[in-house]
Amino acid sequence: MSLIEIEKHEIEEERPVRIRGLPFFPHFLLREVVVMCLIAGSLILMASLYPAGLLKPADPFDTPTPIYPEWYFLYVFGFLKFWTWDIGPLPAKVIGVTLPMVLWYGLLFMVPFIDRNPSSDIRKRKVAVALGIIAILGILYFTYFSIVHH
Amino acid sequence: MNLEDRIFKWFDERFKIKDLLTSVIKHPAPEYAATNPLYCLGGIAFLCFMILVTTGVFLAMYYKPTPLEAYKSVEHIMTVVPMGSLVRSIHHWAANTMIAAVMLHMMRIYFMGAYKKPRELNWVVGVTLLLITTTFGFSGYLLPWDQLAFWATKIGTGIAGSIPVIGEYISLILVGGTDIGAETMTRFFTIHVMILPITIAILLLLHFAMVRIQGISGRL
Repeated sequence: MSLIEIEKHEIEEERPVRIRGLPFFPHFLLREVVVMCLIAGSLILMASLYPAGLLKPADPFDTPTPIYPEWYFLYVFGFLKFWTWDIGPLPAKVIGVTLPMVLWYGLLFMVPFIDRNPSSDIRKRKVAVALGIIAILGILYFTYFSIVHH
Repeated sequence: MNLEDRIFKWFDERFKIKDLLTSVIKHPAPEYAATNPLYCLGGIAFLCFMILVTTGVFLAMYYKPTPLEAYKSVEHIMTVVPMGSLVRSIHHWAANTMIAAVMLHMMRIYFMGAYKKPRELNWVVGVTLLLITTTFGFSGYLLPWDQLAFWATKIGTGIAGSIPVIGEYISLILVGGTDIGAETMTRFFTIHVMILPITIAILLLLHFAMVRIQGISGRL
């Protein structure tokens, strides 16, 4: 129901603002299909060359070393190891867990409401770009930290 | 009138598919989005999602979510089931590629300022999708029930459990008891193959509908 309304809305609108556009079919779709074939091919190649591993069966009485989480959680581990300072009544561990998981995602959610600058020109958004680069470097650093300080 | 035209006419008379099709086919995509490869990232993430659904369904046909059977069933998939090793490995690689693609897509949106008015809510849905994608990874990690799966989950649920106030409940809901065991497995399996797929499907529909309504943001 709502989808059909969207379609009608799009047809009636007749945007004169759009300067250069390509029809979705076949132009846009062709590029998508080419990219899809490339990615699907690479996935099959990687899966054949490096199959998913399987270690020994789980044993609750034998802690293996080292234990790595998936790469996209490493920064959480890294930050937990990095942060060793208590703040007032808050123990270091609670801060080390809360900051990357709660505060970081909270900030991510709020991005459009924090950044009120209407410009999408990269030269007029120096603060946002700088903060974004700092965030990426931070995540890379804590990922590195978690691997080194294992 | 040939057969194709007649089939088309039969459906068009009943569902007016001509209007729908032209609006999809003729819908203009901005030129910069068709030529700049950075605009592929969201589509790559979606392709990975579809590959994950397909391979995941096949894996679920052989997988048994209990501590006694899980490891053996994964071993069975890897060694006995025809193409089983390939299907599981593609599932593994598509999962990692999807997370990388979602992260890069998010960086593109951030640095191009594509989250600004009127697209604020689509950014919020996008961050939720990132959260769901990583939760997919976390819940899938336990399922093979090997040493890495067990201990990484133990540490992961331990970390989630030390978040103030809500952590205790998150940990209890995830683990289903005091230690990682049969309850944890069935819970992680349910989360991985039922709760998350339904949630992500709804959110993806929202995500795409919003792109469709608001158009692709652009200009470099």
